[in-house]
Amino acid sequence: MRNFSMFWRIVRRLITANYGRLFVILLALGAGAAITAALLNLQIDAKRRLTTEFRALGANVIVAPRDANANSSGGTLEQGLLAGLPTENAGKPVPAVAFLYVIGEVAKAGEIRHQAAVIAGTEGQGLTQVRPGRRTEYFAEVERDAAACEIGAKAAAQFKVHAGDLLHLRNQGREATCKVFAVVATGGAEDTQIFTKLGVAQMLADLPGRISLVQLSVTGTPDSIARFIAALAQRMPGADVHGIKQLAEAEGKLYNRISGLLSTTVIIVLLLTSLCVMAGMSNVAIERKNDVGLMKAIGGSVRRVVRLFLAEAILMGIVGGVIGSAIGIVGSIWLGKSVFGVAAQPRWIVYPVSVGITIIVSVASAFPLRRLASVRPASVFRGEA
Amino acid sequence: MLTLAALALGMAVATAALSVSLDVGDRLALEFRSLGANLLVTPEADSLPLEIGGVDYRPANAGAYLPEADLGKLKTIFWRFNIKAFAPILEVQVKAAPYDMDYVSDTPPGPAYTVIGTWVNHEVKIPDGTTYVTGIEKTNPWWQLKEGRWFTEGKNECVVGKNVAMKKLLGVPPGSPPELRSRNDLKPGDEIFTFKMNGHMGPRLHVVGVLDTGGPEDNAIVVPLDVAQTLADKPGQYRRLYVSALTKPEDAFGRRDPKSMTPAEFDRWYCSPYISAIALQISQELKGTEVRVIRRVAEGEGTILTRVRTLLWLVTFAALLAAALAVGASAAASVIERRTEIGLMKALGAGSGLVGVLLAAEQLLVAFVGGGIGYAVGILLARLLGEKIFGFTPEPKLFLLFIVLVLASLITLLGSAYPLRRASRYDPAPILRGE
Repeated sequence: MRNFSMFWRIVRRLITANYGRLFVILLALGAGAAITAALLNLQIDAKRRLTTEFRALGANVIVAPRDANANSSGGTLEQGLLAGLPTENAGKPVPAVAFLYVIGEVAKAGEIRHQAAVIAGTEGQGLTQVRPGRRTEYFAEVERDAAACEIGAKAAAQFKVHAGDLLHLRNQGREATCKVFAVVATGGAEDTQIFTKLGVAQMLADLPGRISLVQLSVTGTPDSIARFIAALAQRMPGADVHGIKQLAEAEGKLYNRISGLLSTTVIIVLLLTSLCVMAGMSNVAIERKNDVGLMKAIGGSVRRVVRLFLAEAILMGIVGGVIGSAIGIVGSIWLGKSVFGVAAQPRWIVYPVSVGITIIVSVASAFPLRRLASVRPASVFRGEA
Repeated sequence: MLTLAALALGMAVATAALSVSLDVGDRLALEFRSLGANLLVTPEADSLPLEIGGVDYRPANAGAYLPEADLGKLKTIFWRFNIKAFAPILEVQVKAAPYDMDYVSDTPPGPAYTVIGTWVNHEVKIPDGTTYVTGIEKTNPWWQLKEGRWFTEGKNECVVGKNVAMKKLLGVPPGSPPELRSRNDLKPGDEIFTFKMNGHMGPRLHVVGVLDTGGPEDNAIVVPLDVAQTLADKPGQYRRLYVSALTKPEDAFGRRDPKSMTPAEFDRWYCSPYISAIALQISQELKGTEVRVIRRVAEGEGTILTRVRTLLWLVTFAALLAAALAVGASAAASVIERRTEIGLMKALGAGSGLVGVLLAAEQLLVAFVGGGIGYAVGILLARLLGEKIFGFTPEPKLFLLFIVLVLASLITLLGSAYPLRRASRYDPAPILRGE
C-alpha cells in the first residue's frame, strides 16, 4: 500500500499531461457513449411505441354474442357488460365501444322518400380509435347536442346530407330525429352506416339494454394482446371474445420484423461504434511508448505499468461514459419527439448499461498497450521504433 | 494503420446503414400488404349496402353490379406494377343442406347461408395479351385453410368457414339428438346441396377445405366466383373488389385535393404512388366504379412506415456521427504523433503550407483506401442484415461508394484540420530536441 499515493499520482499525471490528447480521448469515448445511450433508449422506446402506433389500425378485439353471426336474426348482449370491461392493458387505456346495429329507414328531414340503411347505436369511450377514418366534415358544437349523430361518407352522399343537417330515422313505427355533426370516411362498411347514441338505436330496434357487440382497441405486444383476450374470455363465458385475425397476424408479423430490424441495426451500429472508438483510442495509446519506456527504465514491472494504464483507461471510461451517456439520454428524448411526436421516456437501466459498455470499450482500447510489455526501454530512448 | 482501420470500420457502418435504409422502406411496404387490401372498389350507382358484420343484407336484385371482364384493365394503369393483388367478391344468400332434399315447395326451410364467390389463384387476362395470377389468398393473407385445400376454379367445389363446418350444421332438423349434431361436422370430401332463395336447385358443391379467417367468413361458404354468379343469376358480374397496392405514405402534398392543384403539381401527384392517385387511376380505368381508400389500413401503414423510416435514418445518422468522431479522433492523434517528422521537414526548409498540404494529401489517401475497404465490408454487412431480417439482398449501389468516399475524405480532413493547423505552426527546434 505504500505505493498507493504514488500510483494515483502517476495516473493523474498520465491523464493531465497532455490536454489535447485528453480531449481527443474524451471526445471519442463520450461520443460513443452518447450514441450507445441514445440508440438503446430509443430502441426500447420505439418498440413500445410501435404497439401504440398499431392502434391506428383500429379495433383489434371483439366481444360478440356466441351465435351472433350464425344467422341474420343475430343474438345480442347485455349492455351492462360494457362497464365490466378492463379499461387498460399494459398501462395503456383500452378504448371500448358498444354497438347495436339495426336496419332502419332513413331520410333527410323534410323529405318523404326513406331508404333502408344500417343505424349503429354506439356508447363508450373512443369511437374514433376503434373506428379509424377521416372526418371530412365536423361540427364540434353539434357533437355536444343530445341528439347528435355521425354519418358515413357514402350514406351522406346517398341522402345528400352535410354536417348540421337533420336526419329522420324510423323502424317499424318507431321514429327518431338526429342532427349530423360529422361525415366520416373509413373505406369500410362504416361508410354506409349512421352512428347514433346507443339509446336511439335501442329504441328503434325495441331492444332496450341490449347491444350487438363491443369493439376494443387493445395496445400491447402480440403476446400481451393474446393474454388480454384469454383473460377476458374467461371472465365472460357467455360471450365470444376474439381478436381480429387480420390485424393480429399482420401486427405480429410486422412487430417482429420491425423490432428485429431495429435490434439488429442497433447492435451492429453499437458494435461498430465501439470498434471505431477502440481503433481511434488505440492510436492514442500507441503514442505512449515513451512513457512506458521510461517507466520500465526506472524499474517498473510490466504488471505495474499495465495496471497504471488500466486505471487510466477505467477512469477515462467512467468520465467519458457518465458525460456521454447523459448527453445521449437527453438527446434520445428529443429524438423520440422528432420521430414519434412524443418525447421518449428515459429508461434508467440504459444509463448504467451504456456507462458499462463505455468502460469496457475504453479498457479494450488499452489492449494494444500489452504489446508495450515487450518494449525495450533502450531502443525507445534511442528513438527507434 | 489504425486510422485506416477506424476509417474502414466507420465507412462500413455508414455503407451498411445507408444501403439498408435505402431499401428497407420498399421491403417494409411490401410486408404491410399482409394487412390486406387498402382499396375497395364498389359500383358507383349503388344503393346503400346494408352491411353488418361483413354480411350484406340487401336482396340479390337490389343494388348494382360490375363486369368481371373489365378486371384485366387494372394491370394497365400507370402504377400497374404497384398493384400487388386484387380479388372480386360476389355474395349471395342461399339455403344449403348436407343431403339431397327433394323440394316441391317454393322455399326450402332452415337458415340462410352467405356464399362468397371469389378468385383463388385465378388467371386474369390482361389487355396486352399476358396473364396475371391473383386471388383472395393474396389480398387477404389471413384467410387460411384449417384443413384441405382451396377450390379449383371451373369446378363445383367449395371451402366452408370453420363455424359452418363445426357447429349445428346445415339443415340438421331441430330437436335431433346431440350426437347427430356432433357427427355432422363437414369435412373435405363431403357434399353440400344448395338451393337458391327462390327454391330452385343450385349446383352440388364438393367440400374441399375448411377456412379459418377469424372474421365473418367463418360463417360463410366460399366458392369460385362463377359458382356464386350462377347462384345469384348474375353471370359475369361481381359486387366488390379488393385491391392491395404498394403505396407511398401520404405526406402533406399527397393529402391535397387534386382539384386544387396546378397542372404541373397534378402531374407530379398523379405520377407518385400515393394511394389516392392509384385510386383515381383505377376509377378512370374501371368505368362506373367508386374507389375508396380503406382508411384504417392505408393510414396505419402510412404512419408506421414513416416513423420506422425516420427511425432508421436516425440510426444511420448516429452511425455516421460515431464513425466521424472516431475517425476524426484517430486522424487527429496520428497528426499529433507525427510531430517529429513535421519538425524535421520544417528544419529542412519546408514551409507551413507545404507541410499542411503533404499531411492532408496523406490523410486523403488514407481516406480513399479506408473508404474503399469500408464500402466493400459494408456491402457484405448490408447483405447479411438484409438476408437475416427480410430474406432479401439489397443491391450494391455504386453511388454509395461515391458518397462514402466523399464522406471519408471530409471526415478525415475535418478531424485533422485543427492538429494540422497547429502542426504547421510548430517551431522545429524544440520538437527535434524532444520537448
